[in-house]
Amino acid sequence: MRKLSFAAIAAVAAITLAGCAGGGSNDAPEAEKPGNIRVWLVGTDTPQAARDLLKTQFEEQNPGSTLTIEEQSWTGLVDKLTTSLSGSDSPDIVEVGNTQAAAFTSAGAFLDLTKYYKELGGDDLLPGFVEAGSYDGKFYAAPLYSGSRLVFYKKDALAAAGLSVPTTLSEYISNAETLAADNPGKSGLWWPGQDWYNALPFIWENGGQVAVFKDGKWDAQFNSAASQKGLAQIQELMTKASNAPKDGNETNPQVGFCDGTTLQLSAPSWVKWSILAPTDADTPGCPDQESNLGVYALPGVNGGAAQVFAGGSNIGISAKSAHPQLALKALKIILGKEFQTIYGTNGLVPALKSLASTLGTDEVAKAISSAAGNARLTPASPKWAEVEASGALTDFFVQIAQGGDIDSLSKALDEKIESILNG
Amino acid sequence: MTAATVARPTGTADAQPTIRRRNSRAKRRAVSILLSAISVLVFIGSVFPVYWMVQTSFQPNNEIIGAEVNFWPKNFTFKNYGTVLLESDRAQFLPALGNSLMVTLLTVVVSLLFAFLAALAVTRFRFRSRRAFIITILIIQMIPGEAMIVSIYRVLDGWALLNTIIGLTLVYCASVLPFTIWTLRGFVNGVPVDLEEAGMIDGLSRAGAFWRITFPLLAPGLVATGVFGFIQAWNEFLLALVVMARPEMMTLPVWLRTFQVANGTTNWAAIMAGSTLMSIPVIVFFLLIQGRMTQGLVSGAVKG
Amino acid sequence: MSAPTIAPSPALDGKVRGKKPRFQLTPYSLLVPATVVLLIIVGWPLIQLFVISFQEFGRPQVFGAPAPFVGFKNYLKVLTDPSFWNVMVRSILFCLVNVAVTMVGGTLVAILMTKLNKFFRVLMSTGLLLAWAMPALTATIVWGWIFDTSYGVVNYIFTHVFGLDYQGHSWLINPLSFFLVATIIVVWGAIPFVAFTVYAGLTQIPDEILEAAQLDGARGTQRFRLITLPYLRSIFLVVTILQVIWDLRVFTQIYALQGIGGIRDQTSTLGVYIYQTALSSGNFGMGGAIAVITVFFMMAISLYYVRQSLKEEQL
Repeated sequence: MRKLSFAAIAAVAAITLAGCAGGGSNDAPEAEKPGNIRVWLVGTDTPQAARDLLKTQFEEQNPGSTLTIEEQSWTGLVDKLTTSLSGSDSPDIVEVGNTQAAAFTSAGAFLDLTKYYKELGGDDLLPGFVEAGSYDGKFYAAPLYSGSRLVFYKKDALAAAGLSVPTTLSEYISNAETLAADNPGKSGLWWPGQDWYNALPFIWENGGQVAVFKDGKWDAQFNSAASQKGLAQIQELMTKASNAPKDGNETNPQVGFCDGTTLQLSAPSWVKWSILAPTDADTPGCPDQESNLGVYALPGVNGGAAQVFAGGSNIGISAKSAHPQLALKALKIILGKEFQTIYGTNGLVPALKSLASTLGTDEVAKAISSAAGNARLTPASPKWAEVEASGALTDFFVQIAQGGDIDSLSKALDEKIESILNG
Repeated sequence: MTAATVARPTGTADAQPTIRRRNSRAKRRAVSILLSAISVLVFIGSVFPVYWMVQTSFQPNNEIIGAEVNFWPKNFTFKNYGTVLLESDRAQFLPALGNSLMVTLLTVVVSLLFAFLAALAVTRFRFRSRRAFIITILIIQMIPGEAMIVSIYRVLDGWALLNTIIGLTLVYCASVLPFTIWTLRGFVNGVPVDLEEAGMIDGLSRAGAFWRITFPLLAPGLVATGVFGFIQAWNEFLLALVVMARPEMMTLPVWLRTFQVANGTTNWAAIMAGSTLMSIPVIVFFLLIQGRMTQGLVSGAVKG
Repeated sequence: MSAPTIAPSPALDGKVRGKKPRFQLTPYSLLVPATVVLLIIVGWPLIQLFVISFQEFGRPQVFGAPAPFVGFKNYLKVLTDPSFWNVMVRSILFCLVNVAVTMVGGTLVAILMTKLNKFFRVLMSTGLLLAWAMPALTATIVWGWIFDTSYGVVNYIFTHVFGLDYQGHSWLINPLSFFLVATIIVVWGAIPFVAFTVYAGLTQIPDEILEAAQLDGARGTQRFRLITLPYLRSIFLVVTILQVIWDLRVFTQIYALQGIGGIRDQTSTLGVYIYQTALSSGNFGMGGAIAVITVFFMMAISLYYVRQSLKEEQL
């Protein structure tokens, strides 16, 4: 575990450095001089209302200071964070994907927020995301929001096939295959090969794991008997029930749904808004399908909600921030009830458990909260982001979708994952 | 197109006057038609992606993504250009265009000037480390820049050049200079020294002779090599992404990337409209200089 | 273009030394601007790259953690990693095929240009010009769209015009077909440069020589081999070496295509591999080692060219 100890030193060093450099240490009670706080939000998930709220509240509370939101794209984010957070032009607050967080918390890129844990929400924060944002017993990046994966379906298609909403995983599989068989040329479950997030529940539900940490080493588990069972189910679905491109990614899921070639799809909860977008929107949807759009949480092996992958974001303060105090104040607004409620009303799971009710009470909300209750994360290794970046997982599932040999492919994948995690 | 005006003997391998003249003429006609047909095919092959990009950019997005493929916009629309240019919650086109133009033009001018001086040094003088310099220049071209991004970022950070036009210009100059020096060398060689000497007899200093006589004569060579700087600076994505981290400093390739949203909805029509907009300045630039360029490329290489 | 020369370069040294310039213009002062830029932007990072290739250098080190020296560990790891060799072989094959296709295609197009009448010549050059002017990034996006699995025009034409079942056919999933698409993109973008350069070279061959050869009874192919080729040798050499360097380092096209589809592990080339290792995975030490190995490798390939230049220019 030489790596880990270096990382720990790095983290400590970075925090000390930031304390010295950042115009007054963290602990200093005296207020900082007014300044401009730069916040990096990624993608378009955070609604405009929330952005406006953050800016006005912050500027009201801190006269003389300003706050600028700079929108980043997910493409190339890790590259950009690696350079920018380590340089002198670092933004103050950055959002980072929850699976990418460890790469930065372990590198000492974020300010240690351990002693503000309570103020920022404490045990009300989503526990899985707190774990993703912590390293070596310290809390670096707070949860921002969580997405949740749901299954969207066409009510008429399910009814026409004489099926009902599945209650177990095997029913889910047989439903999808029946739909595909009854409707040649259509996807009983639209599943592009690169979409590995959707694959994880099958592994977890069958008792498998992605990787486990034992005796000081990571042991990847795709080749375990339990995982193999899940992989076989995945391959069955991908080859028999899906017409999606075998090497495609999960963009534009609404298109197939709207032109009728997709009967079911599993996707993040906000895909509802893509489907129901006006027909003259930039990326048009099909609002006329609203009454036909059904939704449920992926069922588990023994009923109930399956353990699904919880995508989402963490948010932290750069160790190089010139205004750590101001940044902390802004972060408190972001994790405040008002700001987080906006996520809830827009179908994203807020960072605070107590706000789950803001999701509403409709079908989607119910599905979201049952899915979120059982959400799981990828292995808590600082190197996990590298596994994702290497493309090994997308490559693997593309090959599974093509009908490749599960045993040999998963063996190779395990080796690759282990070489990265233990490397 | 090119300035070459010399009429070339065309397909006249067996053109000696013979008794079978008629036959040969018919054959020549056939060959000529065949060649013209091939040239039309080459034209179509070259233009098709450009055409496809432009025609897609004029279609409504929902007609692009569908079972039917349109070879000509059924419902012609400027909406995508509106999306790309006017929507306020997106990265702005005009500032990005401004940044790209500034960086690109500066890169071209600065790299040509510096390369001209360096090329003079290695062609008009013999000095000790000349050979080492030339070989170094060649080797630099082989370094995969992707490996040095973090180091380059730090250098710029150290000189307080992040998020500045000058910073990115310097980086692009550095990546273009080796090629430019290497190439200009050939062109400078092609300008007879006698001309410079004549100028010096007429009272010009050596520097004056270089500037007043050699430099203008290099025009075609400068155009030809400038093109590479232009293309390089206009298209580069990775360095621009990390060096110009502030949104107001974004360049066009980075701007174009903001339309591709992972795990979301991709507005293909808008991407095509953005790509078209990004290509227009290059095409204009090329049309302006094309004639001189090809002429220049060769006079350098052949005359050497 | 540059280096290898047909006419011997004017021998200058004597004259420079013989005359006493009024203004002391030394070669070193002329080299200063370019050298300064190169030293700052390339020189220093290059030294760093070399140093970290011997260090354990990951993301923590970027943020200031001490970087321990590990000797040749990174190099050993790279050289014993089969995927590196796969990438290397793949890159070389891709480069060879692309350079060959580009050179042959470009030359044929250039010869074609000399045989056309004005209208068709202008038409074809306009097309080539447009292709040349299209930025590599946008070109790849557009080509990717043309070959798109679900909505691409290629699949549409194969299905609806030729009646083949290409509906939903993925062009990128099979590595060979991935590289076919990549080759189309690269060659399409590179042929104009080669064609224009060679064409311009062809127009500069003195007509008298060709006519004389014709009178001597040389046929078309003979004339090409005996007169055109030697005359254009320098152009071919320069253009080829540039194509080799560019195609071996190809990044944008492959990187953008991988974003659209395909299996990365089976389609990465050197540029993309270095990027993935260094930047995406945060393994900068290994990335540095791969870069250094690549440079040595390219130096080995271009040795011939360098030697040729040295000989002809008496460097």
